[in-house]
Amino acid sequence: MNKIWIIIKREYLTRVRKKTFIISTLLFPLLYMGLIFGMGFIAEKSKQSLHVALIDSSGYFTEDKITAQNLADNSSLITLVKSKPEAVIADHKAAGYDGYLIIPAMDWKTGSDSLVFKADKSYGSGSTAAVEAKLNRIWSAIKNDSLQIDGEKQKILSQRLSVSSYNIKDEKANAKTAEGIGYVSGFLIYLILLIYGSQVMMGVMEEKTNRIAEVIVSSVKPFQMMLGKILGIGLVALTQFFLWIAFVLIVYNVGIASSSSGMVSQMVGTMQKIFSSVNMPLILFCFGFYFLAGFFFYASLYGAIGSAVNEDMREAQSLSFPITMLVIISIAMMSSAIADPTGPVAVWGSIIPISSPIVMMARIPFGAPGTVPWWQLGLSMGLLILSFMFTVWFAGKIYRTGILMYGKKPTWKEMIKWAFRKN
Amino acid sequence: MALLELQNLKKYFATQKAVDDISLNVEQGQIFGLLGPNGAGKTTLIRMITGIFYPDEGSIIFDGKKFDPIKDVGKIGYMPEERGLYKKMKIGEQAMYLAQLKGLSHRDAQAKIKKWFTRFEMDSWWNKKVEDLSKGMGQKLQFVTTVLHEPKLIILDEPFSGLDPVNSNLIKDEIFNLSRNGATIIFSTHRMEQVEEICNHIALVNKGRKILDGTVKQVKQDFKENLYSIGLNQPLHEISTLAPFTLAGTREDALIIKIKDGHSPNEVLRFVLDQGLSIHAFNEILPSLNDIFIKLVEGTPTARQFQPVQS
Repeated sequence: MNKIWIIIKREYLTRVRKKTFIISTLLFPLLYMGLIFGMGFIAEKSKQSLHVALIDSSGYFTEDKITAQNLADNSSLITLVKSKPEAVIADHKAAGYDGYLIIPAMDWKTGSDSLVFKADKSYGSGSTAAVEAKLNRIWSAIKNDSLQIDGEKQKILSQRLSVSSYNIKDEKANAKTAEGIGYVSGFLIYLILLIYGSQVMMGVMEEKTNRIAEVIVSSVKPFQMMLGKILGIGLVALTQFFLWIAFVLIVYNVGIASSSSGMVSQMVGTMQKIFSSVNMPLILFCFGFYFLAGFFFYASLYGAIGSAVNEDMREAQSLSFPITMLVIISIAMMSSAIADPTGPVAVWGSIIPISSPIVMMARIPFGAPGTVPWWQLGLSMGLLILSFMFTVWFAGKIYRTGILMYGKKPTWKEMIKWAFRKN
Repeated sequence: MALLELQNLKKYFATQKAVDDISLNVEQGQIFGLLGPNGAGKTTLIRMITGIFYPDEGSIIFDGKKFDPIKDVGKIGYMPEERGLYKKMKIGEQAMYLAQLKGLSHRDAQAKIKKWFTRFEMDSWWNKKVEDLSKGMGQKLQFVTTVLHEPKLIILDEPFSGLDPVNSNLIKDEIFNLSRNGATIIFSTHRMEQVEEICNHIALVNKGRKILDGTVKQVKQDFKENLYSIGLNQPLHEISTLAPFTLAGTREDALIIKIKDGHSPNEVLRFVLDQGLSIHAFNEILPSLNDIFIKLVEGTPTARQFQPVQS
């Protein structure tokens, strides 16, 4: 085992001393945050504010009602066309509108469900929804007037009951934050598995590319070499992860200290609220477990592929495609699990070792033992441990043969044969 | 007692009988030449000796005990034909890494590396990366990493390929040096002139089988064709059929003669002297290993055909 330690040291130090390690450690949290927030930001921005020409043949839509709504809500602008509607219809763009809407002569009691916003482009429902909402608010005002419902009665009518989910078994599990944390941690594990999985694959190819495989195998057993590589790279992943946490903690504490800066302290405040509303120790423990176990499971598979191919990255990519697909499928299952944390997809996804690192991490913030019974958690962890022991053994057998083989590209079937060949 | 005994080794791959019942002994202190055409099974044999492959049948006795691939690696040094080192790693660091994998302690490794680097005038390279070296320098480095841990058995596969005469000589001297200091060396090559220079014992392998095994001297004696070179001061015009030899050719200003069966060199000399000729040179021409190699291996297709494994 001493030799494995020597290998781990070398693999670890070689990677940690490279400039790319330091750069990626600093960049990654920034990129990741940018990704999460950026997606939300872009979604917001893609809604357009439309300028609508309203041509009213019903007579109900008055200037003052429209203006009142325009002032209250600037997600769209509705202008009543008082004269020469034909000019607008002929060329609304020249008249300065994005499109026009004709209100036909209709009865305020029945309204109309076939209004059309005519424009020279197709607008998405995101944009027209804002117009529809505003129009309906104006319409409500019109109906209230006609029905002679005064302000007080309007208030009573508009009051709604709101329902939110509460977990009686795990009081700390607040659904909204659980979703957020589940999403974030599941996605994080996904990224780590993909990034470090391929690092292991390329790392294993190093001996072949440098033609040093034979010398190495004459000094250590192939299994020791493979294990050393996986553990060494795993340690790099762990180091990088702790550095990120340290980075976040520093920002967090700086934020608390300098409570003058409004936005930062607001972020810090939200973070504090989030952390206290969920079972953080459990989440952290599970994250650590699934991070490591998932890494071993996938890294050994990627390592097996790396040892079988001949220095050609494309070969490696095509052979590793099925594995990458498994990780991507896990992410797909994750969104279903977040939407319904006790549904069949969530339960099976979090128990089957292939998807459990990602799916279980998405479920755990919803609470254990409430949403996730202890037996499910135990079964999931047990199966994952057994599975990665198997994949490491399996990869070791493939590595033993593949590392010395130059020449034709093997198929998965051949690689499986290597696994069961005697020494 | 032999340092290494190979007994009836067999290694079959799915399509090929790579090693088909080979037995040989390597005595301590020998410089043993392992020869054979491409595809003969040499590399597979060597890989079994170094523990990279496990034999399908047969056994390997190393240093009096059954060969243990895990424990004995520290006593064996192997320089494969496929040269390779981590390109982006610094040289000193890499030599340390490889030495430690062989079981040397950090301190030991450092001392020994310094010693060898000084010997090969490589001191200034410690912090250079392997990719910065020329081929010759890389080979010297690889040689150092092979012998650093003072192994009992050193296996060198084509150690001179790509080296200029100066570096070749350096390595050759080192091989002799190591042998003098007690190491046993197995040396695999195609360059027969080097085998003649360096080895004292050889084995020739072909198609997975051993077809020759003996000292260089013995092998040459076994294959001699009774050829002699005789240098005369006067030209010899005719050789009567009574002569105890026939003319086989000429070389520069000497005649190549083949002594007929049953006759001796003394008879040849007497015959020539009786003719009144004066002799200025007379040597035996022993076959070169190159010739022996070709003779034995000729008839094999230049690329070894796949022999199906019959169960």
